[in-house]
Amino acid sequence: MARIGVFTCWCGENIARNVDVQSVAEQAAQLPGVRCSQTHKYMCSDPGQKLIRDTIAAERLDGVVIASCSPHMHLKTFRKAAEHADLNPYLVEMANVREQCSWVHSQRSRATAKAVDLIRVAVAKVRHNRALEPIQVPVTRKVLVVGGGVAGIQAALDIADSGVPVVLVEREPSIGGKMAGLSETFPTLDCSQCILTPRMVEVAQHPNITLHTCSEVEQVEGYVGNFRVTIRKQARYIDVDKCTGCGQCWNACPSKKTPSEFDYGLGKRTAIYTPFPQAVPARPVIDRDACLRLTKGRCGICVKKCQADAIRFDDQDELVSEDIGAIIVATGYQLYEIGKPDGQGRVTGYGEYGYGRYPDVISSLQFERLVSASGPTGGEIRRPSDGAVPKTVVFISCVGSRDNAKGLSYCSKICCMVNAKHTMLYKHKVHDGQAHVFYMDIRAGGKNYDEFVRRAIEQDGAHYHRGRVSKITQEDGRLIVRGVDTLAGEPLTIAADLVVLAAAMRPATGVEDLAQKVNVGYDEFGFLCESHPKLRPVETNAAGVFVCGACHGPKDIPESVTQASAAAAKVLLMFSRDRLYREPEIAHVQESACAGCFACRRSCPYHAIDPAEIRDRQGQLVRRVARVNPGLCMGCGTCVALCVSKSVDLEGFSEEQVYAMVESLR
Amino acid sequence: MLQPLRETCRRLLDDGTVQVVIGYGQAMRAVEPYPVFITDPNDVGQLVWNEQCRTNLVKYLLRQEIRALGKPAIVVKGCDERALVVLEQESQIERSEIVVIGVACDGMAEARCEVCDAHQPRFADHTIGHATNKEQSAERRYAHLAEFQERPIADRMDYWKAELERCVKCYACRQSCPLCYCQRCIVEKNRPAVLDTSPTLKGNFAWHIVRAFHLAGRCVGCDQCSRVCPEGIDLRLLNQSMARASEASFGHRSGTDPQAELVLGNFSKQDQEQFIR
Amino acid sequence: MNTAASDPANGEFEPKIVAYVCNWCTYLGADLAGTNRLEYPANVRIIRLPCTGRIDFNLIVKAFEIGADAVLVSGCHPGDCHYTSGNYHARRRWMLFRELLATLGIETERVHFTWISAAEGKKFQQLISEITSTTRDLGPYHAYREICETCEV
Ligand SMILES: Cc1cc2nc3c(=O)[nH]c(=O)nc-3n(C[C@H](O)[C@H](O)[C@H](O)COP(=O)(O)OP(=O)(O)OC[C@H]3O[C@@H](n4cnc5c(N)ncnc54)[C@H](O)[C@@H]3O)c2cc1C
Ligand code: SF4
Ligand code: SF4
Ligand code: SF4
Ligand code: SF4
Repeated sequence: MARIGVFTCWCGENIARNVDVQSVAEQAAQLPGVRCSQTHKYMCSDPGQKLIRDTIAAERLDGVVIASCSPHMHLKTFRKAAEHADLNPYLVEMANVREQCSWVHSQRSRATAKAVDLIRVAVAKVRHNRALEPIQVPVTRKVLVVGGGVAGIQAALDIADSGVPVVLVEREPSIGGKMAGLSETFPTLDCSQCILTPRMVEVAQHPNITLHTCSEVEQVEGYVGNFRVTIRKQARYIDVDKCTGCGQCWNACPSKKTPSEFDYGLGKRTAIYTPFPQAVPARPVIDRDACLRLTKGRCGICVKKCQADAIRFDDQDELVSEDIGAIIVATGYQLYEIGKPDGQGRVTGYGEYGYGRYPDVISSLQFERLVSASGPTGGEIRRPSDGAVPKTVVFISCVGSRDNAKGLSYCSKICCMVNAKHTMLYKHKVHDGQAHVFYMDIRAGGKNYDEFVRRAIEQDGAHYHRGRVSKITQEDGRLIVRGVDTLAGEPLTIAADLVVLAAAMRPATGVEDLAQKVNVGYDEFGFLCESHPKLRPVETNAAGVFVCGACHGPKDIPESVTQASAAAAKVLLMFSRDRLYREPEIAHVQESACAGCFACRRSCPYHAIDPAEIRDRQGQLVRRVARVNPGLCMGCGTCVALCVSKSVDLEGFSEEQVYAMVESLR
Repeated sequence: MLQPLRETCRRLLDDGTVQVVIGYGQAMRAVEPYPVFITDPNDVGQLVWNEQCRTNLVKYLLRQEIRALGKPAIVVKGCDERALVVLEQESQIERSEIVVIGVACDGMAEARCEVCDAHQPRFADHTIGHATNKEQSAERRYAHLAEFQERPIADRMDYWKAELERCVKCYACRQSCPLCYCQRCIVEKNRPAVLDTSPTLKGNFAWHIVRAFHLAGRCVGCDQCSRVCPEGIDLRLLNQSMARASEASFGHRSGTDPQAELVLGNFSKQDQEQFIR
Repeated sequence: MNTAASDPANGEFEPKIVAYVCNWCTYLGADLAGTNRLEYPANVRIIRLPCTGRIDFNLIVKAFEIGADAVLVSGCHPGDCHYTSGNYHARRRWMLFRELLATLGIETERVHFTWISAAEGKKFQQLISEITSTTRDLGPYHAYREICETCEV
């Protein structure tokens, strides 16, 4: 390449003050390969860009160096300008003579000399630039949503409503997630199921949504726009097409002792069951570990009762594969299992609260079921041990959260609001009862949130004590809660009938597995990582994979829904063109030289390198070499540095370019 | 030793388990045994085993012309065998397609054998003889290097200038190294040439930095490279400095554990260093 | 040595420093130093690469070959890599490579490794000032230049 134009910018006074622009331009003109060297007061302005375009055309330039500000500022601008003059945009490079020269060096002679050097480096580079075309990737306009909680439902409906097909994968027998089991929701105290169930039904009936329940993602291959996803559908033992959901079977099932997952163990369910009356799909499932027929070979009453002939004891797991263009992960959360160390040393404590030992010490989600009209007590607050209505209830916040020593360092964010809600719901049902809350701080940021907490305290008379609880013991059927009130500066003991622990929110089990399948990073707690906390909050570092809801961090419903709609919007944006264009500055392997050691493959952060087979004419395998998947490579160049034979190189920062740059400084 | 070795090889060839045995042979007057490639069971008499069998034969496994002979069996010592482990980790060989005949070795006539902790092969399919492996402390294993590193930096530079001045870029070190298997070695790369290939001091430094670093975390310390150098350049110092650093920083001794992760191309968030500011 | 850093008008030794930095952290840190007008010596020549993961050890050797008196390698702090893990790979590489340089008698105090984030303009300024002054004290890297200047042997 030998017709390079150098365009040095004055940037008004910004560059010209400390750099002798005229002299720089003259010296640049002498550099090898430089055809012409020009200056302009403001290169990024319209006349400046016009100068560039006109000169490219007049001088038939095949390379351009703009000596001005940072490439992070204007590389895109100048590449566009070149494109308008029919010069491939990747033949434009910049020399940063403002941020990294005139603004930081006041000695004019040295700043000028450095500016020339920076141009020298850029010219050396651009001589080896190649014209590149954006990589085009076809897009399969179909979305996989993993997790059917409120976040997954919202994302699925938004996308499906816009006409794009969605595959929704939910591991439980019904969609709905945690929200389906909540009683009433802060800060408005509207009934959770009343707002959620219509949405669930919409999902079931939506022509653009394929719902797979009792299912998980088994494998993800491919890359953005072109994933191939294998879904494992667990045997349900029901022919869902024949079943009418009449309920004859579960009413007759004699195996009635399994703790209900939906009621968090507060109630029991049969072996053939629907998790809750409004379940979607409204079809039962057989629990293969509880069913007498499947475990012991006897019974089969349900078969006799079922008039639709829908029971299938020989049902098998099924693998379904789908071509998918984008993936939204919405796997939500679970509560920290209080008192149970997680085995990874992240949570070790809270055995002193007696959860699991004292039946009347329950978790916040269990309390939701106790107050829910659809719950095991029909919405009457009765404690698990003896069914008595508790007259004194203690709510403890931050169980597992905000504790570096034995818990998790982060704040679970929702518990302050949940506690306030619970004291209110309790007071509304047990008028002569007294709620106590032990808290560390009250964090009620959010629209109408602080007002909500104030109402709990001022109108509904909850007693808030700032301090921690050190121990809970059981005496004469009551729970003795020992703590401190740090504001009063004294120990505080309360004899309670029921204790509710606001356990920390943690990512759902198995999320790390899933994250690895889709190449999304996760933090030390297992929450999925967004690409940028502020500017790319629902994108991930894996192209084409998005996150929303509580799998990304503790969140309440409004936030989960907002994020879900955001993720849906991002997907639709991606689908707005029938092809994706990716930056062409990616790696490629020279297969004839590759030794097939796969050091590159080991190191690639994006799993963009796969083995490829080289066969001779007879079809005999000659060797295996590395091959870069252009749909996945992000152009970091880690592979290049690791390749001992330098068989892999990176467009835009090729060995040739980089060595030329260093050489130019000789 | 020799009889069971020959017998094993004969059997493997006889029953068609392998088509070629790579072993040590010796002509009457030659001092150093040379590699032999036996394809006929009746030729196993050519195999020898003695204190001169220093050469690491593993490199021959990778040769195109030897691969063409069919499934191989190879005679290795406990130290050589480590190279096979690395080759497998780096996808260069399919372990199941090679029969490894390990020979217990009480030490060849070489200094390094005094600190050897691999007298008895560990991963061989057939083991001939018996020897005991005794643990050797890192201090002992790297004593030679430690002593060198005691010298002031300028001395070390002078030492290498004097040594590398002699390198004639014959690349025998590369040709004999079981782990130098690239299709196209980096020194043969042009546009751009990554390093100066002239046999000048500059080019020689560049070459030896590359050679040593490309074996970082991989070199198994068989010393084949130093052994074949016509100029007697002690490449062990460079190899050992990489091996010791891999061991000290990442607990990795190449070729001793087929399950271990390779040093480069992997990382741990816990990697500890003192020098990055 | 015809480039400006080592060829000053006043005849005093001006160290030539080659810096390999990643595009997303250190390069932006250097930009920030500029935006905040934080003055530092004009001895450094930055070569922008996408990621520390891309910085091959050969580039360090190359820098000395072209007469650099010091080399700087800098990128995102651990955990902040734009590409999630390029810097972790780089860190391992440097842990071993520094050792090799030391064995060869190459002055490791002329090779600087740092993590500088996009927010650390100040750190960039201080670092360059410091490296320039320590390299000035060390003097020109004669030892390596001698290696490079010997002709055919
Ligand atoms: C006690 C309590 C009370 C609360 N009360 C309120 C309230 O009043 N107001 C409010 O705004 N918020 C409240 N919240 C918070 C609310 O529950 C969450 O914000 C919301 O449920 C998050 O929705 P989600 O879809 O992200 O997750 P989830 O509801 O957890 O849904 C995730 C779904 O993904 C499925 N899944 C998980 N892993 C997989 C997998 N690998 N494959 C397939 N499917 C998978 C799960 O089975 C589940 O159905 C409360 C939380 C608690 C603990
Ligand atoms: S440049 Fe980076 S992302 Fe691309 S293949 Fe190489 S290591 Fe992977
Ligand atoms: S590191 Fe280089 S030689 Fe090894 S597989 Fe990758 S491209 Fe091929
Ligand atoms: S064998 Fe010796 S002389 Fe030959 S290239 Fe290697 S070090 Fe140089
Ligand atoms: S000692 Fe030499 S020949 Fe043996 S593995 Fe190491 S570098 Fe290769």
